[in-house]
Amino acid sequence: MGKNKIRRTLVEFSVRRPKLVLLLVGAVTLLFMTQLPRMKTDTDPKNMLPATSGVRVWNGKVEKTFGLYEDTIVLGITNGKGVLNEGTLGRIKRITDGVLTLKGVAARDVSSFTTTDNVTVDGQTLKVGPLMTDVPKDSAGMGALRRDLFENPLFLNRIISGDGKATAIYIPLEKGANGKEIADRIREIVKREGGGGDSYYIAGDPVARDTFGAEMFKLMGVFSPIAGMVMFAVAFWMFRSFFLSFAIMVPAMVIIIWSMGLVIGLGYPIHIMSSMGPVFLMAIATDSIHIFNEFYFRYKEKKDRRAAILETMDAVAVPLIYTDVTTAVGFGSLTLANIIPVRVFGLGVGFGTIALLLLSFTLVPAILTFAGEERLERAALKEDAEAGRASGLLRRLAALGVHRPKTVAAAGLVLFVIAAIGTSKIIVNNNLIEWFKYHSAIRTADRVLNKSLGGTSPGYIVAMANDDDFIKTPEAMNYLEGLQHYLERKLPVVGKTASVADYVKRINRVLHNDNPAFDAIPGNKDTIGQYLFLFGMSAKPADLDNMVDYPFRRANIWVQLKTWDAQAMRDVIRAVGQYKKAHPIAMEFKPAGIAYFNLVWNDEVLWDMLKGFVTALVVVFIILAFNFRSFKWALIGYVPLLFTILVIYGVVGFTGKDFDMPISVLSTLSLGMAVDFAIHFVSRFKRRLFALKAGEDGAPGKEMIADSLLWTAARPGKGIMRNAVLFAAAFSVMLFAPLTPYVTVGAFIVGMMMLSSLLTIIYLPALITLLSGWLFEGGLSG
Amino acid sequence: MRRFFILTVMFLLLAGNAFAIDGRAIMEKSEAAFYYPGRDFKARMVMKLVSAGGQERLRELTMLRKNYGHPGGPQKYFIYFFRPADVKDMTFMVYKYPDRDSDRWLYVPAINMVRRIAAQDKRSSFVGSDFSYEDVSGRNVGDDNHVLLREEKLGGRDCYLVKSTPKKTDVEYGWKLSWIDKASFLPLKEEYHDRRGEIYKVFTADEIKTVKGFPTITKRTMKNIQSGHRTEVAFEKADYNIGVPDSLFSERFLKQPPKRWIE
Repeated sequence: MGKNKIRRTLVEFSVRRPKLVLLLVGAVTLLFMTQLPRMKTDTDPKNMLPATSGVRVWNGKVEKTFGLYEDTIVLGITNGKGVLNEGTLGRIKRITDGVLTLKGVAARDVSSFTTTDNVTVDGQTLKVGPLMTDVPKDSAGMGALRRDLFENPLFLNRIISGDGKATAIYIPLEKGANGKEIADRIREIVKREGGGGDSYYIAGDPVARDTFGAEMFKLMGVFSPIAGMVMFAVAFWMFRSFFLSFAIMVPAMVIIIWSMGLVIGLGYPIHIMSSMGPVFLMAIATDSIHIFNEFYFRYKEKKDRRAAILETMDAVAVPLIYTDVTTAVGFGSLTLANIIPVRVFGLGVGFGTIALLLLSFTLVPAILTFAGEERLERAALKEDAEAGRASGLLRRLAALGVHRPKTVAAAGLVLFVIAAIGTSKIIVNNNLIEWFKYHSAIRTADRVLNKSLGGTSPGYIVAMANDDDFIKTPEAMNYLEGLQHYLERKLPVVGKTASVADYVKRINRVLHNDNPAFDAIPGNKDTIGQYLFLFGMSAKPADLDNMVDYPFRRANIWVQLKTWDAQAMRDVIRAVGQYKKAHPIAMEFKPAGIAYFNLVWNDEVLWDMLKGFVTALVVVFIILAFNFRSFKWALIGYVPLLFTILVIYGVVGFTGKDFDMPISVLSTLSLGMAVDFAIHFVSRFKRRLFALKAGEDGAPGKEMIADSLLWTAARPGKGIMRNAVLFAAAFSVMLFAPLTPYVTVGAFIVGMMMLSSLLTIIYLPALITLLSGWLFEGGLSG
Repeated sequence: MRRFFILTVMFLLLAGNAFAIDGRAIMEKSEAAFYYPGRDFKARMVMKLVSAGGQERLRELTMLRKNYGHPGGPQKYFIYFFRPADVKDMTFMVYKYPDRDSDRWLYVPAINMVRRIAAQDKRSSFVGSDFSYEDVSGRNVGDDNHVLLREEKLGGRDCYLVKSTPKKTDVEYGWKLSWIDKASFLPLKEEYHDRRGEIYKVFTADEIKTVKGFPTITKRTMKNIQSGHRTEVAFEKADYNIGVPDSLFSERFLKQPPKRWIE
């Protein structure tokens, strides 16, 4: 076969001219390395969707229409004895003054006690001005401030909590400002104040996002080398040879540089997904362990280094090619995604995997020629499939399947059903804040603020009428008010809503000597128009602009959510739909804002991944069938893979962990990795059986099948276990990451490797034994 | 003798400065030219509020002003709104005092009610525009420290460039630069810098016409550089010394403004 010939030529060439091969690989690596310094990072989740995506265009339009800020930091201040005391108020005033001087802060629209305008009435006089100019010095002044705060529904749960123990300063950011840097400056300001029993909490999407970005960068720099070192240590423990451990690491390092070089060279920034690329590549590179594993057995039999290399490469070539191709397909399917960072990640890792395949037939044999004969001798002595401890254990595991196939199959079935039940409990959700650990400053801040105030996750419902000035009609105003009430009453996640109707009611009441009876929408359009004009004379222009567009055709309802769950906004949208159905009006309602973006993004990721998952499933099956030249064997090879994923989903379902972006991405690419062991096992098993039968016709005997299964488990099985342990070891490092997506990835991969290797060693022998009649119907190739 | 010569030169150099006008004097003259020309004044103006996204809101009004005393002294303002349509007949009145906060009254026709408005914040927006109340009726010259930075040309006109720094921190900006036309003493341009030193609002006099001998800014723009929002004001009619009666500035006429004064 032509393919085989190319492969053999490559291997022979590499064994003959190892130095040239090393030199060539080194040169190419240097070339890719020149790209690395051009690296840029991008941590804005908005860029997960292209700038032209519907939701981003629409959100941009809404922001422009209502003069809204994309990003707002919330600084929460709490005091167990209440924030309305001289000390705390003085600190609020000084902190606000400090915040106003920060670069990147949209100072004109910072909302705090000293910057928020308030309209009150005193006898016949309307008072317009900042809620608090100076800290009240006496109890009368303090009482007045308390009244102003609690009697104004616009303030309650926004800048003062119901129990008076919490307040917040809302700090909008100019476009392009870095949320983490500003948050750090705010922390400095707050630190200077300190004391007095006040606690400070900094929350909001930009802080979370940019903190995540900074941490991600650190992780990439810290965890990739640690993962590398762990792999090196584990490899040394397995082979007791520095040379060999080193030889395993070299291809890993090379493909990391190639892949990162390619991604950066193509001009893509590094996102959270691609920042995990190096660890993935390192783990995938452990595939070359099958070469070393086999080489040592062969060397012991042959005692000729060169011949052992060539024979080894012959024996492992087919499974190596197919495992790498399936892995590449798993990652490659990600390039079908709409989510750009996922696409880039798939491209980078897919490319690295193919590069690894090339290196397996060039660099690895070349490196092997440098192994000292004496050292090989010593190491190879330990590699005895019959007597080795690890091999013995593997043999016993496989024997379980071979000798008690029905019990094993039944146990598997039970596990399958349980996992299926767990899978049905899965909740699809995404929550940016929960990407941080429970006790992290960011998540704590979010929790505290959501408990006491209206909510840190902002969403909008834009009401759109067909005619100018319609929003000024009592009909529209009453509708907005009714819809707000409905949302606040019906959905516990909605902490607070605000709309232009609140302003109208407020002005009406104030103009009528603060009489609560006038806390209502007036029945006349001109009155509403004049109230809004008066409001525009008394507040910052932005206050009105944030709520209505210029022609009074569109109104914006602010919906503060107490959770960053994508699900929350879906509930809001559904509730709006129900309200509209029950109360028809000539207005359309469209969601917008960060909460809406998170929802769209969540759905998009899921749909994308489902697409990728199905594609990978089909392609992997086709490759398997092609590899084994049989549908039946492809089905058998599929079992550990499907089983592994189902069990992991089952665990996700039972533990109540959200099925979020990291998990959905992992599901897709795990297909290509979890199938690897089955490919190695089935390929080597059939090869062994073929050799044993030595040309006899008909189906192989039961004994022969059992023997081959046990041999496969003990010898290539050892390679499988080594591969799984090494792979898992590299990823176990991620379990200690401070960000939960990394922990999720670590746990998922470790679980997947252990499960799929164990299933391959135990379950495949059981299935093959049980179904041997069906599988070997047409002889060996069956 | 040589020493005497040097002293003389030094004295002349110092005196050269003393002969020249200083920052405060420039701003006083500017106040007189900008906010106090004539005994009284009437203008019909259209205010165009333009958002960063290009949306527009219109306000159309007649403003009457009467001086009581010298430039820098008390004034009364009467404003009648024509547009937006739903605020037609709304009126607004200001008594301005040099040494204390102004008194303001607003008439809300829909509920036939006059309310006094205590203005704690002179810097707040005038009818939602980028102009503050102070920008409309003038800021006390004594509230700021004025320094003449230099003289320079702006658009071909010789100007004084004056830096005015508020004495108190109760305003939203850090300092203001004014380009004062040497000939008319009208501000041709003003730059407001926020407390971080970043430019924040810019005022420009876009058209100046002489009405009854008084140079008058008939088109002006205030642009908020940071938000992108701007307000353009155009005087459609402007007139001085028309004999505005004192009685106009009363609650009775707030509710029923005489046609001849507002049209």
